[in-house]
Parts: sequence; C-alpha cells; structure tokens
Amino acid sequence: MKGYRKYFGKKIIWFLITLVVAVLLNFILPRLMPNDPVAAITGKMAQGLTDASAAQRIYEKYQEEFGTNKPIIQQFFIFVKNLFHGDLGTSFSQYPRKVSDIISSSILWTIALQFPAIIVGWLLGNLLGALAAYIRKGFDKVLLPVSLFLSNIPAFGMAVMLLVLFAVKLKIAPTSGGYNFDMIPNFSWRFVKSVISHYQLPFWSIVLVSIGGQAVGMRSMSIYELNADYVKYARFLGIKDRKIVGYVFRNAMLPQITGLAMSIGTMVGGALVAEIIFSYPGLGSTMFSAISGGDYPLISATTLIITLMVLVISFLLDIIYGFIDPRVKAAQFD
Amino acid sequence: MKKLIALVLSSAMVLTGALSVSAAEVTELPREETLYFGGQQWGTVNSYNPIGTNQNNAMATTAQLLGSRTLMFETLYMYNFLDGSLTPLLADGDYSWNDDLTELTIKLKDAAKWSDGTDVTSQDVIRTFDIGVEIGNNTGTGYGAYIDSIEAVDDKTFVIKAAVTEDGNPVNPLKVNDFLGGVFIAQAAWIDAVVERNGGDATAILNDAAEDVVWSGPYTKYFDDDQKVVLVRDDNYWGQDASMWGKLPVPKYIAHAIYADNAATEVAFKAGEIDVDQQFLPNIQNTWLEEGLPISTYMEEAPYGVCLTMPTAWYNMNNPILAENTALRKAIAIAVDYDTIIANAMTNQSPSFADVPRSLMNPTEGEQALYDHDAVADLQFAGNDIDGANALLDEAGILDSDGDGWREIDGNKISLNAVCPNGWTDWMAAMEVVAAAGKNIGVEITTLFPEWDTVQTVFTNPNQTEYDIFMWSPDGAGPSMPWGRIRQFLDGDLVGIENNWTGNWGQYSNERATEIVQQIPLTSDPEELKALYTEAIQIYLTEVPSFSLMYRPAVFHAVNESVWTNFPEDGDGRNIPPADCTDGYGIAALYDLELVG
Repeated sequence: MKGYRKYFGKKIIWFLITLVVAVLLNFILPRLMPNDPVAAITGKMAQGLTDASAAQRIYEKYQEEFGTNKPIIQQFFIFVKNLFHGDLGTSFSQYPRKVSDIISSSILWTIALQFPAIIVGWLLGNLLGALAAYIRKGFDKVLLPVSLFLSNIPAFGMAVMLLVLFAVKLKIAPTSGGYNFDMIPNFSWRFVKSVISHYQLPFWSIVLVSIGGQAVGMRSMSIYELNADYVKYARFLGIKDRKIVGYVFRNAMLPQITGLAMSIGTMVGGALVAEIIFSYPGLGSTMFSAISGGDYPLISATTLIITLMVLVISFLLDIIYGFIDPRVKAAQFD
Repeated sequence: MKKLIALVLSSAMVLTGALSVSAAEVTELPREETLYFGGQQWGTVNSYNPIGTNQNNAMATTAQLLGSRTLMFETLYMYNFLDGSLTPLLADGDYSWNDDLTELTIKLKDAAKWSDGTDVTSQDVIRTFDIGVEIGNNTGTGYGAYIDSIEAVDDKTFVIKAAVTEDGNPVNPLKVNDFLGGVFIAQAAWIDAVVERNGGDATAILNDAAEDVVWSGPYTKYFDDDQKVVLVRDDNYWGQDASMWGKLPVPKYIAHAIYADNAATEVAFKAGEIDVDQQFLPNIQNTWLEEGLPISTYMEEAPYGVCLTMPTAWYNMNNPILAENTALRKAIAIAVDYDTIIANAMTNQSPSFADVPRSLMNPTEGEQALYDHDAVADLQFAGNDIDGANALLDEAGILDSDGDGWREIDGNKISLNAVCPNGWTDWMAAMEVVAAAGKNIGVEITTLFPEWDTVQTVFTNPNQTEYDIFMWSPDGAGPSMPWGRIRQFLDGDLVGIENNWTGNWGQYSNERATEIVQQIPLTSDPEELKALYTEAIQIYLTEVPSFSLMYRPAVFHAVNESVWTNFPEDGDGRNIPPADCTDGYGIAALYDLELVG
C-alpha cells in the first residue's frame, strides 16, 4: 500500500508541475505573435473614419479595456486570478462575447463529432488490423496497402474528396452546417434527421483517416504477438486457436489503448479540418479563427482545455496501467 | 455494438440540437418566403444594438458610408452609389442647407413610426447623436468633429448645426451629408432605458446586447445561433404607407447561414442555398456560361459589377529612396502590366486603365464627369511601358553602373519589398506583377505576404520603415466622395497620425494638395470644384505617391435565381444599385422581388 501511495504522490506532483508550466506557456506563446489584436479591433471600428484622432482614442479605449497596456507580468496574474474565478476573459475577435460563452456553445458539437468518430475509427481499425494479422493471405494483401493509403491521406484531402463526391457531384449529402440551412433547431424527427445527415460527411472524413493508422499499428503488434514464445507454447499444449487469439489480442491492445486515450485527450483541437471544410460548428473552427485573429484569450482558453484533457487522460492512464499491467507496476514501483 | 453506437450518436446529436433550441415558432423556413444571403455574416451575432460598437451583426447593424443596411434600423436617407443621390427614408423630402453651409434642416415623415407604435421624432435624432458623443460610439467618433449639435424645430423638424472653425466656416459640410445616409436613428426612450440599466457606464452601453431594442425598419430579429441568423418581416412596418414604399418587402424571412470561409459559401451559392452572395468569385461568368447555373450579376458582360474603389500600391515615403526619387516612383508605376493584373487577379471584373484612365475618381459615370479628362491626358499611363520606364530612370541618372542588372542610387542597389496580406490571393497576384515590373526595369522588388493582423499593425504606424510598397484600398463611395478619397490619397495633414486608419498611409506630403483637400468641402460652385479636382489629379499623376492597380466593386453582388428573380440589373430603368438588396437604396430591390415560376 505504501508503494501505491508513493507512486500516486509522485504522479500528482509531476501533474501539478506540468500544469503550471502549461498554463504559463498557454499565456505567453500567443502573446509572442507579432501582431496587435487591439489594433485589429480598432481597424474594424475605424475604417471610414475621417476624424484622424478618433482612431487613436478608440485604440486607447480598447487597450484600457483589455488591459494590454499593462506590463505582461501583471496581465499574467490577472489572467490566473480570473482563471480561479472561472473567468476565461473576453474574446478579442468576437468582442464583446465572453470566451466561456463561445466555448460552451461550440464544445458540444466538437465532442459529439469527435468522440464517436474516434471510438468507431479505433474499433474498426483495430478489428481490421487484428484480422489482417490473423487471416493473412489475400485479406492482408488488400488491407495493408488500403490502410497505408488511407492513413496517408491528409485529413483535409479526405474531407474535400468526400465533399466533392457526395455533396457536390452526387448531391446525396448536404454541403455544410450542422443542420439544414432552412431549419431552426427544434424537437422534431425531421430536425434530428437533418442533424444526422449533416453529421455523416465530417464523421466519416475523420473515421476513414484514423482507421488506416490504427489498422497498421494493430496488425504489426498482432503479428509480433502471434510469433511470441507463449503462443507457440500454447499451441504445443493444444489450446484452442480462439483462446489463443484472445490472449494475443489483449496483449496487442495495450499500446493501442494509449493511442486511443491520447486521441480523446486531443480531440478538442483535432476536428479543425473537418469543421472548417464542412462549416460544421465546433471548437476547431473557433480555434482557427482565434489564431488567425490573434485572439489571445480565446487561444489561451482552447489550448488550456486541450492541455488539461491530455494531462488528465495521461494521468489516469498511468494510474490504470499501474493496476492492469503488472509489468508496468513492477517497473514503476522500483 | 452497432446499435449501441447508433444510440450514442443520435442521443448526442439530439442533446446538441436541443441546447440551441430557441423560442422561434416556425421550425423550417419556407423556401419561397425566405431570401438567403451569403458573404456578410462570419460569426455568431453578438448583439442587436444600434448605438453599440463592435457590431458583428452584419444583417442588422451594418452602418457604412456606401449605404447603411436598413433592414432593422433606418437612416434618414438612403445613399445610392449609382448616381450619388440620397433618397429620403425616415426623412421627408430633400434636406436644405443655409447659405453659409452651417445649418442643415430636415423634416421627418409623418408616417415614420417605431415598432412600439410611437412616432419617430426630432428628439430621437437628437438623442442618437448626443448619446454617440457621450459614449464614443461610431456616430460620436465619426461625426463629433463635424456636427456641433442637433436642435429640434418641432416634433418632426430639426436642424443639424455644423461644427465651425474659428473664422466661422463649417469644418466640413460633406461629413454632415455622410451622417444622413450613414447613421441609424435609435429611439430616444429606448436609449434612456439602456443608459439607465447600465448605470450610465459607456462601455456597458456600447456592449449592451439590446434584447429589448425598438426598431423602425421592415425586419426584426427572429432567430440566431452559431450557424445562422434569421430576421423576420414586421408586418406593421410603417414604410407600407403611401408616403414611403406603399407596400411591404416581398421576402418574409431574411436568413444568413454562417459559413466557415469563402469556399464553403461558394459551394452553397452554387447549390442554390444562397440567393444573394457578397463574395468575389473568380471567373463568375463560368457559373452561367459553363456550369449552366441560374446565377447572374448586375451586368451581363465584364466587369459584371459596379466598381467603386481601386486597390492601390502605396509608396512608403519614410524610405528616402522613394521619397526623394519621383522618377523611380513613376517608372515602377508605368512599368506595371495592369492588363495582366486585371485579367488574372480580377478575372476581368474590373475596367482597364485604357477604358477608365487613372485619376482619384472611382469609375462611376458620376465621378468621372467631375474632372477635366483632357487636362491630364498627357500624364496618363496604361502600364507595361518598359521602355518609357527605363528611359525615365536613365534620364534621372538612376543607372546600373556596376553591370549586375540592377540599378543603383548613390552606389547602393535599389531593393524594395512589395507587401499585402497573406491569403488575399488576388492582391498577392497583383503584387507579383509589380515585382515582375521591377525586374524588367532593373529595380529589385521582392514580395512579402505577412498575416493580415501584422500588415495592418505596420501600415497604420506612421513611422514604419518595414514596408516599401504596400497594398490597401481607399474608400469607395459615399455622400462625401470623392473628397474623402482624394484626402486619403493626398492629405498632408494625415502625416504622422498614430493608428492611422484615415488615409495617406504612405505619409506623402504636398502643401498645395493639402490645401485643395481643405478647399473642396467648402466649395459648392461646380466649375470651381472641377478645377480643384483636376488640379489634384494633376499633382497625383505627376508625383505618383501611390498607384492604383485595378478597379474593384466595394460590394460584390451576385444572385442565384433558382427561387427569386427580378433582381436589379444594369439598364432596367429602376436605378437600384447592386448593393446586395440591402445597402442604402439597394434595399428597394426587396420590394420588387418575384418568385421564379
């Protein structure tokens, strides 16, 4: 028990240190960009102004409001203080909207798109990979090149291909948005149907790309395991094939679980391409516009969410591994 | 497993959809009652506040010189960029200036009413201006320097008193004209309520979401979320009175889906999910010639739209080589192949400089008639004149003395950069043509494409030395044009202004030109004006402080006629500008729309 406590204690300390460093970087990095977002807001307001001193007044007003005229260290402490109050600040690019408001209205779309896509891609990919390793012969000869091909198509390429093929040419899928362009959200079967049909292309554009990578990884892990000594030994003992495959699959799964956990951790930022190409509402497109608009508070908030999710997931993984994999436990308790 | 996944999927989706459900009664907008827009709204709308700033609500609160968007809130007059006229909206009949150009009297229409049924009165106009000055919104910052006060004569008549200089002359009567077509009038009683609930705090008033706003226009808010904004017609709209339109606008709903980018908007436009698109589509004629789509533009032939502005390459006079060598400035300008720019970057959606010779005027007939073309004919250049440019440089003693192919000044090789924002592909193409012209005449010009936010931070800084030649557009149209644009090109008083969004970004200084800029607003005699405009153009073409690269519409206006038709067209006799059926007098189009079939 003492070993566990020491192990968790160490993990928690590292977790906290990483968190502090990450928050610091989240704050500083966006602010190192060479542009001045306050000038950008002023520009939007001031175009067409003929009174030349007016633009300067507008600029000073916003500087004051956003606190960008204060020293950066002071800005950081204000940022941290607000974080503790759950206040992520006001967005520059969508001023005067609150960052928390922007994120809460888009994060559910992203999770609803990404989470099932990651799970489905992962399940299908691993299944195909394991089958390819086990069946070999013709199946493997087809599957491996197809998987390699799919996993090497960049996400935007896949999204554009699906868009052009199914939406523009065949016209069997909608081109953009989260629901029909002529609908207003409501509780009706038609609306749900519309949401589901708009869901297909972005969903499959993510699934198809991830299947390939997962399948290739699972296949090689399985082949490695199939040739392991314990498999040969089990065969000698006359254990049924199905039982052996079960063992092999479980062992080959371990690294794949890490991969799954990491994809879930980073999913908030991961759907960027699909969201942009299909004009799908979500955090990915929000992040993209925040970055191109130099919107520090929004960038910091979205990257903070990603950081936190990755940290929490990897922390949980460490803990779970400690329990489920005796080899890891032994190594870490030493 | 599949069932489980399907269940997870659909419940997640329903949950998501449920979160954005609003109180709107209609769940599907009838296609034949809805006019869809594209290219205007790029993010979730943040308010419906006509006296706020930071309005991203494009359909409801766009106030602009070119003609404000009067769907929900209304201006006194509607600007028409086709002929520069102001058509009365809330105002009744023409406005009248006194002889000194210090007082402008306007009457309001008797029929003009707010959505709560009360009259639009002089007090509303006065309160709109006063609150603007108090809280520093766009009305206050934009007009506070030109309007001293607005005073009521009676409930429906008021006088705008122009700000005057020490010698009693008005500061700028043209800017008072801008107020007429540009500023949304808000209800005094509603303004008082907003001020009260925000405790008089200026920032809070500017950012007020205005859920309870009172409007006077034909449409009002209906629904908005992350994906769209919908306005609905107000069937009690005062404008159906015979003294205004005599009827209601045809579409019941005005909708704008929020697309991620131009490409997504283009796909939706071609699919017929957008009726009116405000977006530059390269080779737009191919949509009807080759793809056979029911898409059309204001004009059937090139340039397809009404060009109002001219994206321009500005020389940075903080660079002594450019400031001191007029011959170098002119040589680069006459060497540039403008026909290539217009054919490639603009896909011919711009008249050429042979069709519309360069000046300080936009290519509309109205502005072109304002100056003496013959007087500046000798100074004109249509581009791609490499020999002329080389001769000019040789004559000025700017030579390639070390034989490396590049000319030198004081023994140093001339090396300049040409800058525009990254991703603005038509502008980037234009800058490449400028660089190529440099190569042809032995002047090294390298292109540089930083992100937009960086570009604007640099070029609005009056002391910048980072960019030598950079692209930006002067203003297109408005009641104070062409004065406003001439000022942007030539006003020496703008040199050294911090955060300079106003004009003269190249920091060019010429005493006579600055004088002309000051004289124009105070001159009303057409002949005198013509002489001033012509002289300004002479200075501009002689000194070449900047050079325009193409003409360009201020708004793009393309329509997909799969559902609606009878959009404004060139020569249809209606004089409705192609302003997306919403801006200034362009809104008149909404009253004439018809369903296809």
